[in-house]
Amino acid sequence: MDTITPKVGGEGDERKYTLTATINGHPVKAEPNETILHCARRYGVYVPTLCELDDIDHFPGTCRVCVVEIKLPNAAQSHLATSCNTPVVEGMEVKTRTIRVRDAQRLQVELLMADHHQDCATCVRHGSCELQDVAQYVGLYQNRFFDPIRLKARQIDDSSPAMIRDMTKCIRCQRCIAICRDGQGVDALIRTGIGQEASVGLRFGLNQRESSCVSCGQCVLVCPTGALGERDETDKVINYLYDPDIVTVFQFAPAVRVAFGEEFGLPPGTNVQGQIITALKQMGADIVLDTNFGADLVIMEESAELLHALGKGQRPTFTSCCPAWINFAERHFPEILPNLSSTKSPMQSLGVIAKTYLPEKMGIDPKKVRVVAIMPCIAKKDEAVRQQLQFEDMAEIDTVLTTREFARLLHREGIDLAKLEPSDFDNPYMSEFSGAGAIFGTTGGVMEAAVRSMYYVANGVEYGAIEFAQLRGFEGVRTATVDMGGKIGNVKVAMAHGLKPARQLAEACKNGEADFDFIEIMACPGGCVDGGGNLRSKKAYMPNALKRRETIYAIDRAKTVRQSHNNEQIKALYRDFLEKPYSDKAHLLLHTLYNDRKLTLTRSVREIWSEINLSTMVY
Amino acid sequence: MTNIVYGVWDGVAYDHRHRDASLPDEVSLKGLDVFDAGNKIRAFIGDRGFFVFDPHVSLIDAFWHYMNKAADQSCGKCTPCRMGTVLVRDALDALRHGETPAISFDDMLALSRQMTDTSLCGLGLTCAKSLTAALEKFRDVFEEEAKMGPAPEQNGMVYVTAPCIEACPSKINVPQYIDYIRDGKPEHSLGVILQKYPMAATCGRVCVRFCEMACRRNLVDEAVGIKTLKRYVADYQTRTHALQFSKDLIAEPLPASMRVAVVGAGPAGVSCAYHLLLHGYHVDIFEEMPQAGGMAAIGIPSYRLPKDVLLSEMDIITALGGNFQFGQKLGRDFSIDGLFGKGYRAVFLGLGCQEGTQLGVKDEDPSLGGYESGIGFLLKVHDHVAGIKKVELKGEVVVVGGGNVAMDCIRSAIRMGASRVHLVYRRTKTDMPADQEEIEAAEKEGIIFHYLNNPTKVLSENGKIVGIELVEMRQTEVDARGRRNVVPMPGTEHTLRCNTIIAAIGQQVRAGALTPEDGVSLNKWRCVDVDKTTLLTSRPGVFAGGDCASGPSTLIHAMANGLKAARAIDDWIRLGEVRFFPRSRMRQILSDNRLLVEDCVEVPVRSEYRVHHPELDPEVRRQMFEEVEQPISAEEAYKEAKRCMRCFRLYSVITDRPIPPSHS
Repeated sequence: MDTITPKVGGEGDERKYTLTATINGHPVKAEPNETILHCARRYGVYVPTLCELDDIDHFPGTCRVCVVEIKLPNAAQSHLATSCNTPVVEGMEVKTRTIRVRDAQRLQVELLMADHHQDCATCVRHGSCELQDVAQYVGLYQNRFFDPIRLKARQIDDSSPAMIRDMTKCIRCQRCIAICRDGQGVDALIRTGIGQEASVGLRFGLNQRESSCVSCGQCVLVCPTGALGERDETDKVINYLYDPDIVTVFQFAPAVRVAFGEEFGLPPGTNVQGQIITALKQMGADIVLDTNFGADLVIMEESAELLHALGKGQRPTFTSCCPAWINFAERHFPEILPNLSSTKSPMQSLGVIAKTYLPEKMGIDPKKVRVVAIMPCIAKKDEAVRQQLQFEDMAEIDTVLTTREFARLLHREGIDLAKLEPSDFDNPYMSEFSGAGAIFGTTGGVMEAAVRSMYYVANGVEYGAIEFAQLRGFEGVRTATVDMGGKIGNVKVAMAHGLKPARQLAEACKNGEADFDFIEIMACPGGCVDGGGNLRSKKAYMPNALKRRETIYAIDRAKTVRQSHNNEQIKALYRDFLEKPYSDKAHLLLHTLYNDRKLTLTRSVREIWSEINLSTMVY
Repeated sequence: MTNIVYGVWDGVAYDHRHRDASLPDEVSLKGLDVFDAGNKIRAFIGDRGFFVFDPHVSLIDAFWHYMNKAADQSCGKCTPCRMGTVLVRDALDALRHGETPAISFDDMLALSRQMTDTSLCGLGLTCAKSLTAALEKFRDVFEEEAKMGPAPEQNGMVYVTAPCIEACPSKINVPQYIDYIRDGKPEHSLGVILQKYPMAATCGRVCVRFCEMACRRNLVDEAVGIKTLKRYVADYQTRTHALQFSKDLIAEPLPASMRVAVVGAGPAGVSCAYHLLLHGYHVDIFEEMPQAGGMAAIGIPSYRLPKDVLLSEMDIITALGGNFQFGQKLGRDFSIDGLFGKGYRAVFLGLGCQEGTQLGVKDEDPSLGGYESGIGFLLKVHDHVAGIKKVELKGEVVVVGGGNVAMDCIRSAIRMGASRVHLVYRRTKTDMPADQEEIEAAEKEGIIFHYLNNPTKVLSENGKIVGIELVEMRQTEVDARGRRNVVPMPGTEHTLRCNTIIAAIGQQVRAGALTPEDGVSLNKWRCVDVDKTTLLTSRPGVFAGGDCASGPSTLIHAMANGLKAARAIDDWIRLGEVRFFPRSRMRQILSDNRLLVEDCVEVPVRSEYRVHHPELDPEVRRQMFEEVEQPISAEEAYKEAKRCMRCFRLYSVITDRPIPPSHS
């Protein structure tokens, strides 16, 4: 008999694999309670799956595609069982490719298609869709049960400026619920409806815009199909590009350059900053700026603000560059809003300066300027339309494109990034950046950038070290104490990435237990390098986080200027325009305020009863 | 048993349509002759098979009824059940109307098999089993019927249930409320419970959990933490989005003359009042004590059920317009005649069992210092904790009994300052009727258990208890009924010194609670004599439920009685009679035939052990009456809810005549 060998595990730790079974006739070993799927994967046996996502330990068993045929010792007959949640038991015979298995898998996918949107070519996931992959695997050749009436009954929620939830493409895998609930701890998503109407919705029956969703977009990253996605605004940007009266100003976030090359076949973590500049120029962008410049500017303002707060004995101060975090604080923890830094995010700071200082310097009409921000984030779309972030009668940011839309834009313009020669920023006013600005894209980066400059702002001399290893871990919550010298002394800092850890810190602050001066929050696990606007991966969650992070640190190391306050263009901006950090003008342009948007909803028992489906309703 | 014409049960086909049929003819299902009086059962469909008793039954129509219900109840999570139930139902619907279905019989069979083989939960796994068998073995019947054109209208009903639902006296839809937790809708989950009784938080703390004993998850690892989850959703009422109770819940308020009196504000009375209020009646609740809750208030110590939790649930009655009249004792302040005289249309008696049963041993005298009945002691504990009257308990305490009241007594006694607390029980630990979790908690708190010991004599000096004489018991051989009895072993008598004896071996309706003038007779166990199906007493218009009718029982039984009585009272007032209740009849068929009991899990299920309430440290908690069990987190609740296997099953009958209309 042929043998198959475990591809992962199995060597070195033989002792835990105490069970013996067979898969397709080959002997295998498994540990107690190990699923058939897990065991099959260790031995390199492929079983198609759809709802399951191993990276987030999600196997709800809803799609029922991963069926295999099992026979227990002494059993009279074999059974079909879903491999994702059925454990291997001693002596079990598993078969993955029998006719019965293949027929069942094919019928399952056919049933999934019965109320699924059929126009694949119109879907953003066309060609990168997990459902299409599975349909191909099972050999789907007919689609007998589709009925357009069923499709019409399914809902599309396009109420939010950030994202669209198109339930006509939902396969009810519940990955979005899992990531929102267990991953992020936001718990905004619920299962709605039963039977044919079973779907995913927002808590209390609210739409996306009104709901407790904070637009972090992690659900989009795990969605296997095109059911979840950003609001696509590529057309708007193409209109700008081909309108001769418009001066297009592009900016892109620190994380975009290290999380974009994959789309064009480059290895994960490749820095494609130069190619992005070339691509933008080739598409006709008038001015290309760097959000990193905005990050440096934010550090100037935030350090000054923090020192001011410390002087008043006001603590802690939370960072405010992450829009999903702002949404979270406003929706879930309004009590801590007074502790949020009033400094705008790098994107908005850059936007408002690009509509004031830049036109002044370059002699262009600010009304003709359209600022497009390329962001690894969908909450940035929420942020751009905030009422308090409109300057005079202009939007500070006209359009936000997620990294995914930017990829789509390049494809639509026929540009292959991998074939482009890199070029440099050429704007003399707002494109230079320090290493500090570059590291904004990863967890701990804002804190490290702030620390680099705070010491100088407080003491007038540079801090000896530049890199702060104690800020660079990857745990959900990290804390450190940094000696700021002189008047300030020790500053206690904390960093959280992912909203579950962020909630812990917010909770502590609300209860008066947070013994910190400065707290950095990034809503997405890993920070912006794994933000909800990044390219999607199939059957994986955050597969490239650490590679992207490495490149970000490498960009920092390669810079000669590594502190925000030493950025010459920043110095010029203050000298020529803003006067000094935290000046009145800086306040007017670079600081903002927040609103309490907590949901306070009460429902009556009567309403609840009207929504319950029981076969034995008494009332 | 009615003659089977054809059918399939557990994979065995029965076919008596032709005289030469040589198929097996014995089948064990009983009680399937008539549904309600004179209404013949023509066909029965269950999770393990189906039987047709009348050759003229339309099988297509019968299965349409069944599959229609399945489609209606499908949660829609898994693919095969979500689509399969609908596709098959629609095909059957077309056929029964004499139309051409969208899919063939082969497709229907493939879909039925797909549901049966690959669905996620009990509903999908079982709802197409009978149809699969029917299409495999009796395809000719379907084809014949399809040729004949539209099928005649058929009568009957489909009943959806699960083992946990059947086990629950209140028939709470357990899988449904667990599902709503999983869905992220705790308020809907609570809504499911509130359909049956208002005291969700109370039940979530003290229920004896018949549901968990019936839980099929026991076949895999251990029962789902149903009670824990109930408490989780009930505690939702203390959070930001608490549900609002108001009179708008009452669909049809009745005129002011439609008044009902409830005597006793215990779980039975409160539950009865709740349902009467929801049916639109005007309800006054007469209670002797100065607060509502009955035994739940005075008999359950606050370390298990904090008083504010209970009281907040009593507020629901007030919010619905119910009117508590405290300090009103039947026989002293009012009489049943008086109530009818005041215009009440019906009376519900929820008097409870408030008198402790004596041990019946030598030298026993309830007037001795240090002698307490279990319930009398718990009442003192209640007053002590409520600050009404402080009680000092010194020295050693002996509690006699093995039920939950005995557990409450020992665990309270240690908290009241007793130096040592003993429990004396005449049988073994496994025989104890008390909740196993209670026994374990008491063991952790340092209670000394004396199993296989029985009191023989009370020892006293100067009118005060000084000890108790015990005799050791021995188990007899297993008798013909499979039970082991216990008998004393002469010569093993020994003395246990103590200062307090608490007799917690049982309770009865208080002597004199009802007088002959009330016209309500008691049975030989000194309980109110009631008709089991209607809860009607010997006096027309007077109903009784809870402990006073059943003898000391559980909170959940009392609350179930409250609902049953409310239905009966509503029928009685409107129609002058209590109507047949079809769901009860279906339950009887299920229990008579043990349909939900004989079960196994064929495909292995991954074990996931249940979450447990965080508990206060036994060393700390034994000194205080704070609630021992702390709430679980949302994360734990989701995890626990995922363990439910949703063992829904559908059962249906096709009957000769329409099943008579009944209460909802």
